[in-house]
Amino acid sequence: MNSASQTATLDQTAPAYQEDRVKVTEGVDDSHVTVGEAMLDNAKMSMRDVHVHYGDTHAIKGISLDIAPNEVMAMIGPSGCGKSTFLRCLNRMNDTIDICRVNGKIQLDDQDIYDSNLDVVALRARVGMVFQKPNPFPKSIYDNVAYGPRIHGLASNKAELDDIVENSLTKSGLWDEVKDRLDTPGTGLSGGQQQRLCIARAIAVSPEVILMDEPCSALDPIATAKIEELIGELSENFTIAIVTHSMQQAARVSQRTAYFHLGKLIEVGETSAIFTNPQHKLTEDYITGRFG
Amino acid sequence: MTKQSMSKVEAHLARRYAREKRFRFYGLLSVFVGFAFLVVLFTSIISKGYTAFQQTYIQLDVTYDADILGLYDNPTESDWLYANYDGLIKAALRERFPEVTSRSEKRELYKLVSSGAKFSVRDSLDNNEELLGTTATLWVLADDDLDSVLKGHIDRTLPEADRRVKDQHLVWIDSLVENGEVEKRFNTVFFTHSASAEPEQAGVWGAIKGSFFTLIVTLVLSFPVGVAAAVYLEEFAPQNRWTDLIEVNINNLAAVPSIVFGLLGLAVFLNFMGLPRSAPLVGGLVLTLMTLPTIIISSRAALKAVPPSIREAALGMGASRMQTIFHHVLPLAMPGMLTGTIIGMAQALGESAPLLMIGMVAFVAEVPQGITDPATVLPVQIFQWADLPERGFVERTSAAIMVLLAFLIAMNAFAVYLRKRFERRW
Ligand SMILES: Nc1ncnc2c1ncn2[C@@H]1O[C@H](COP(=O)(O)OP(=O)(O)OP(=O)(O)O)[C@@H](O)[C@H]1O
Ligand SMILES: [Mg+2]
Repeated sequence: MNSASQTATLDQTAPAYQEDRVKVTEGVDDSHVTVGEAMLDNAKMSMRDVHVHYGDTHAIKGISLDIAPNEVMAMIGPSGCGKSTFLRCLNRMNDTIDICRVNGKIQLDDQDIYDSNLDVVALRARVGMVFQKPNPFPKSIYDNVAYGPRIHGLASNKAELDDIVENSLTKSGLWDEVKDRLDTPGTGLSGGQQQRLCIARAIAVSPEVILMDEPCSALDPIATAKIEELIGELSENFTIAIVTHSMQQAARVSQRTAYFHLGKLIEVGETSAIFTNPQHKLTEDYITGRFG
Repeated sequence: MTKQSMSKVEAHLARRYAREKRFRFYGLLSVFVGFAFLVVLFTSIISKGYTAFQQTYIQLDVTYDADILGLYDNPTESDWLYANYDGLIKAALRERFPEVTSRSEKRELYKLVSSGAKFSVRDSLDNNEELLGTTATLWVLADDDLDSVLKGHIDRTLPEADRRVKDQHLVWIDSLVENGEVEKRFNTVFFTHSASAEPEQAGVWGAIKGSFFTLIVTLVLSFPVGVAAAVYLEEFAPQNRWTDLIEVNINNLAAVPSIVFGLLGLAVFLNFMGLPRSAPLVGGLVLTLMTLPTIIISSRAALKAVPPSIREAALGMGASRMQTIFHHVLPLAMPGMLTGTIIGMAQALGESAPLLMIGMVAFVAEVPQGITDPATVLPVQIFQWADLPERGFVERTSAAIMVLLAFLIAMNAFAVYLRKRFERRW
C-alpha cells in the first residue's frame, strides 16, 4: 500500500471503531518503510533496525529512528503497538525483563549502549526515566531527589547536595510548594506533585536524555498543564522522548512526532506536519479517528 | 427500564441482600465460636493456675543454737555452709508443738515445713557469729501439702486413708492458722527457681532462661539465613526447574512434623557432631531447621509485596540491583519479614516435641547460664509437671502455661505493633 492513494479517507465521517480496525490491520506489513525523515545527521540518540522479542512475541519489528539534541520527540500509537517497549530500550530498562531480547543498534552520542564495555548504571545516569504512574520512593522529598546524586557520587558534601536538590526541585517547579517540608514523605504529595518530584529526581543526576512514558496519564488537566509547561522548559537543557496517548499533548509539547503501529514505525516528521498533513493512511486514520 | 424488569431487579436485590446477611451471620458465628473456645481455655487455665502465684509460709521462733548447728569456736566458711540448719527448724517445731513426743509423730511434724526452709534460716543467720544463741522469728517456706490444705485443694470430708494429708497434720495446721502463724505470700520462688522434686521449691526461671537461650540461638541463625535465602530466591535466582524444586521443598519442609526435625537433630548434632546433650545450642539448631521455612516463605511474600514501580524507579535512576534491593526493597519488606520471623519464633517457643528428642527433657535443677549448659524450656517443663500427681504441681502446670501464653501474646502483639508502625502507603 502506498501513501499516494489515500487522500479520500479524510472526509469519510465513519467513526465506527470496527471499520477503523479493519483499515489498521490491513495497513502494515513487514516490508513497510517508515514515511518521513527518521534519520538525522546530528542525532543525540540513534536507533537502527531495532527488534524486540518478549519470548515468542515480536513486539518491535525493525525500527530505525533518530532523536535530535534538545528536541522533544513524541511517540504516539494505538495501545500495545510497542511504544513503551521501544522507549525502555533507550536506557536498557528491558534488561530487567528476563524474557526480553533486544537486537539492533542503539547509540547515544555515537556510543553503542548495548556494548559490553558500557556500564548500564552509567547509561541510566545519562538517560533518565519518568514513569506512567508517579513512583516516588517512600522516603522524604529530600531523599527522593538526593538519591541519584548520592548513588552516583555527584556531590562531595552536604552543601553541594542541598544545591542539587534545590536546583532540581526549582527546575521541576516544585520548590516553592515543598521547600518548607523537605523531610516529609514524598508519597504524601498530590499525584501531580509526585510526578514533578519524579521529574526532579530524574534531572537531579543531570541526564542528557529524559524518557517519559505517559507521564500525565494519571493526572488531572491542571497538573497535566504544569507538566507540559515543564517539559517545554526542560527541553532547553535535555533531550526528551515522550510517549503519550493524548494527541493534543503531543501537538503541544513536541517538535517531532513518531507514529507507531503494531511494532512498526509508520511515520515520523515535524509535529505540525504530522498533525495537519499526515502522509501515511494509518497515521491519518489514527489522528482523524481521535479528533473525530 | 420497564416496570416488569424493575420488579425483577428488586426481587433479585432482595435475594442478594439476604445472601449477604447470611454470609455476615456465618462469619460472625465462626468468630464467636473461636472466641468462646478461647474463653473456655483461658478460664480453665487461669482458674486452675492462679493459686500458684501464692505460697504459704510458716512463722517459727528459731533459736540459733550453736550446739545443734554443730558450730564451735572460729567456724570456717564451710562449717557455716554445712551447719545443721534443719536441726534448728526441727527444734523450733518441737517447741511450738510440745505435746508431740513420739518419734514417729515428730517425723510427721517435721513434714509441715519445706525441705527448702533451711536455706532461709541460713540466709537469716548470714554467717554472723554474734547472733548465735539468740532467737529470731522467721517466716519459712511451708510444705506443699500444708499449702494445698490452706488453698482448699484437699477435701477434708474424705476418709483419712484416701487423703494426702493425715488427720494429725490437719490438727497442727488448724492450730497454726488459729494463731495466725501461717500466711500466704506472693510466690517469688516460682519465678526465681528452677525445676525441683518438691512443688513448693519448683519454679519456671530455669525453663524461662532455657527458652530464652534456645530462642536466641534460633533467631541468630534463622533470621539472617532465612532472609538471605528469601532475597536470593526472590531477587536473583533464575526461574528454572531447580528453583521450582527448591520452592516445592521449602513448602514441604514447612509442613514436616516437628518431631522429625528432632530426630534429625539427634542424629546430626548429637551423634555425629557430638554437641552437648540437653543444651540450648542444640535446641536452637533444631528449632532453626523448623522455623527456617516459615521465615523464608513469609520473607518472600514480603518481598513480592513490594511494588514493582519502586524497583523500576530505583533501577531507572541507575541504581544497581544490589542497591535497589538494599536501599529500597529490603526496608520496605522488613516489617513483613520481621512479622514472619516473630511468628516463627512464637512457634519455636511453643515447641516441645523436637526438644524431647535431643534430651532437653532431662531434670535440670540448675538455672542454665549459657547456651551449652543443660537446660529445659517452658513447654517441656509444662509437659513434665503435667505428669506429676501432687496438687502443687497441678496448679504450677497451669501457672507455667500462663507464663508461656503471656510470652506468646507479648511476641504476637509486638509483631502486630511492628506491622502497624512500619506500614507504608505507596
Ligand atoms: N513484560 C512483557 N512481557 C511480555 N510481553 C510484553 C511485555 N511488555 C509488553 N509486552 C508486549 O509487547 C507489546 C508492546 O507492548 P508495549 O507495552 O510496548 O505497548 P504500548 O505501546 O506501550 O501500549 P500502551 O499504549 O497500552 O502502553 C504488546 O503486545 C505487549 O503484549
Ligand atoms: Mg505503554
